[in-house]
Amino acid sequence: MPRIPTALVRKAHAIDAFLPALLAPCRDMHAAQNELRWLREHVDKVAKARRARGDVLAKGALLQKLVKQRASGKPLQYLLGTEYFGNLVIGCRPGVLIPRADTAASITHLVGLLRNAQSIPPELRILDLCTGTGCIPLLVQHELYSARKDVDLRVLGVDISSKALKLSNDNLQRLRKGRNYVDRGKVQFIKADVLIDPFTDQMEGSMSLKAALNYKSQPPFWDILISNPPYISPSAYWKTTARSVRGFEPKLALVPPPTAKKNDTEQGDMFYPRLLEIARDVEAKVVLLEVADVEQALRVAQHARHLGIFDGVEIWREQPDASTEDAIEDDFAIVGNGNARSVLCWRGAGTLWLGKSATIPQEDDAQCLFRASECHFYGGAVRPGGSSHLDAQFDRKAFFGFPETPTLKR
Amino acid sequence: MLATPWICRSCLSRIARPLFRRHIRFQTTGAHTKSIPPALLTRARDIASAHQQLTDKLSDGFDTRAAKKLGEYSPIVNALGEWDKANESVTELTSLIHDSATDAELRSLASDDLSETRTQLAKASQSLITSLVPVHPFAHLPCLLEIRPGAGGSEAAIFAGDLFRMYQAFCNRNGFRTNLVKYENVNGTTEAGVPLSEAILEVENDNAYGVFRSEAGVHRVQRVPATETKGRTHTSAVSVHVLPSLQENSAAEQDFDDPESDYYIDLKEVKLEVMRASGAGGQHVNKTESAVRLTHIPTNTVVSMQDSRSQHKNKEKAWALLRARIAQSRREKREEEMANMRRSVIGVAKMGRGDKVRTYNWGQQRVTDHRSGTTVHDLDDVMEGGQTLENVMESVRGWLMERDVEALIADDDGTK
Repeated sequence: MPRIPTALVRKAHAIDAFLPALLAPCRDMHAAQNELRWLREHVDKVAKARRARGDVLAKGALLQKLVKQRASGKPLQYLLGTEYFGNLVIGCRPGVLIPRADTAASITHLVGLLRNAQSIPPELRILDLCTGTGCIPLLVQHELYSARKDVDLRVLGVDISSKALKLSNDNLQRLRKGRNYVDRGKVQFIKADVLIDPFTDQMEGSMSLKAALNYKSQPPFWDILISNPPYISPSAYWKTTARSVRGFEPKLALVPPPTAKKNDTEQGDMFYPRLLEIARDVEAKVVLLEVADVEQALRVAQHARHLGIFDGVEIWREQPDASTEDAIEDDFAIVGNGNARSVLCWRGAGTLWLGKSATIPQEDDAQCLFRASECHFYGGAVRPGGSSHLDAQFDRKAFFGFPETPTLKR
Repeated sequence: MLATPWICRSCLSRIARPLFRRHIRFQTTGAHTKSIPPALLTRARDIASAHQQLTDKLSDGFDTRAAKKLGEYSPIVNALGEWDKANESVTELTSLIHDSATDAELRSLASDDLSETRTQLAKASQSLITSLVPVHPFAHLPCLLEIRPGAGGSEAAIFAGDLFRMYQAFCNRNGFRTNLVKYENVNGTTEAGVPLSEAILEVENDNAYGVFRSEAGVHRVQRVPATETKGRTHTSAVSVHVLPSLQENSAAEQDFDDPESDYYIDLKEVKLEVMRASGAGGQHVNKTESAVRLTHIPTNTVVSMQDSRSQHKNKEKAWALLRARIAQSRREKREEEMANMRRSVIGVAKMGRGDKVRTYNWGQQRVTDHRSGTTVHDLDDVMEGGQTLENVMESVRGWLMERDVEALIADDDGTK
């Protein structure tokens, strides 16, 4: 990191004595000035609340303490206790990942597509895995209910961390105050470990997602699956993450847990195969997964295609709503502006909800499942859409009872 | 002989001057038009006949557009009727007085009545003119007051702060709801008491643009600044921009989608830039940067907002500001075209941005508005946003209306 010029430090000091300290984490005069202003506003707010309770507060001392903490790199969001996510205010606490603006942009864009959809089921079920602060379920609810009155929502957030669950419930309570639509539909949070395979022997500790859904008497099928899982590989964690992220945000939410026999990239991608399997098991029609960069996005998109259950896969950048010409890479459309940020998959009815035209002819779900298992058999060597011998037999005889075509030699 | 052997010069000169100074008014602002310009009168008559036609049409069947037009015309027609009546009685009374056949008693009665009828006539013609002058298309909107220091360095910045407080006090006193959109002092913070570098105040009441329209322009200050050590008087300038503001709940919301409206902006023509951390983004960084910059590509208008921590709020604020600025520039352009057309007909002193509109002189404790020619001497009351400021603003509004009337007549002459 380049050193901050002395002239800049001196200039900052001339404006405000607290500014030079804030230059260290902000690296930039404008950002430092803004942060100082927000810290001041926060201190004023705290002092006012204390005064209302008949208490006094030394404003200068509190500000000094906060600036000192910020200078050490502690994220401003933890100091102020809130972060803006879309137009919601989400509470933040150490131990839980701070919501990112990029995530909000993808969610807003997705809900924007759903808003215009004609044929949405009367109860739309949305599953959010690795929910953290609960920002995604809350934003989805806020955005959809402010636009559509005819849909009931059922949103479930899942996380492994009890700290995150506590915070997400607090955030739900906080937003419930002074809003009238929260009583419609349901937002809930449960604890489960997404990575545990439900068919292996149950170990001590957390439950698998399937077990947790049963245990909490949640429905087994969901329409939309959203997830912002840990996606940073161990080497990228040391190389690319910002210092305040590394020093203060939970590693649990950033890097998948270490496993033997996996290289660096594979470990970064560890969550995605499992998430896509869950999407298949809960019969999700639309899947939105956040990713780190364009390489990971392409790997995830390839994997989704190999799975063979989706009618279309698309990659979104940081600003998916920006009107730019769509790029095509490896047959995947890349939408928007900025770094590649998420992968969107859809199938069946989801095609209509998103207003997409089906790229692959619609197939029966059972058939897709069959093909997917076939892919597994041959180690993914058989591409979906390519007609293997088994496939053709399955098509005509077992399911549809089509007359045999004369060209087909048996 | 005098008791004293000599008289001092100052006493002598005092004797030479009159005891009370006569007040001579060199410039008059209250030029009430007793008679209506013929062009305006024919216009009123045209409207009256159109009104009659519309009434006939409406008696046959209902038509929304015709009914709306009728509603617009009826105050003019009423005012014209009143003016006709007053005019007729004046001519009747005059003829009665001048007729030699009238007896003396009747004549004295008539002359008593005449003065009263004359004032009635003046009133009627005034109201006829007012009803004929078109209302400013944005007058019903709330407005944005933008205050920025001009020439004069830190003194200008100090005076900008004074002006800002003056308008705030004025709004408080007159019950205008205000909202501070942006406040930045020379250090780039929002702390009060430091010279101002830019302030944007939104007046949320309806009709606020009509009230504050008169304030736009360069305000000049002449005083010994607080920063001056040698006691010299400085002259500095502060520019005040007044823009009609469009909020979501205002009446003109539907205009956003109407391509004819000044506030219409094609979304494709605006580039939205979000300040982002360079590099990986996503979970790798937790930036607090929430600044938003909008660029309107055809006019190259740039608006950036970074006040709030919420990117969403910054975006909303930036859009409101961009719409206001673009609408203003479009309107100015249109007005410029119209003014160019009129300039050949009459010498309208177009109120440009470059000319100063008002002077605040501390040494003489006076405020002079250069457009209406009004001078008031209660400077403190003006700076506190009191009644005196209201008087000055009222005089400017009157002046603006007169300009509009002149322009209207010029238009009529031009079309003939």
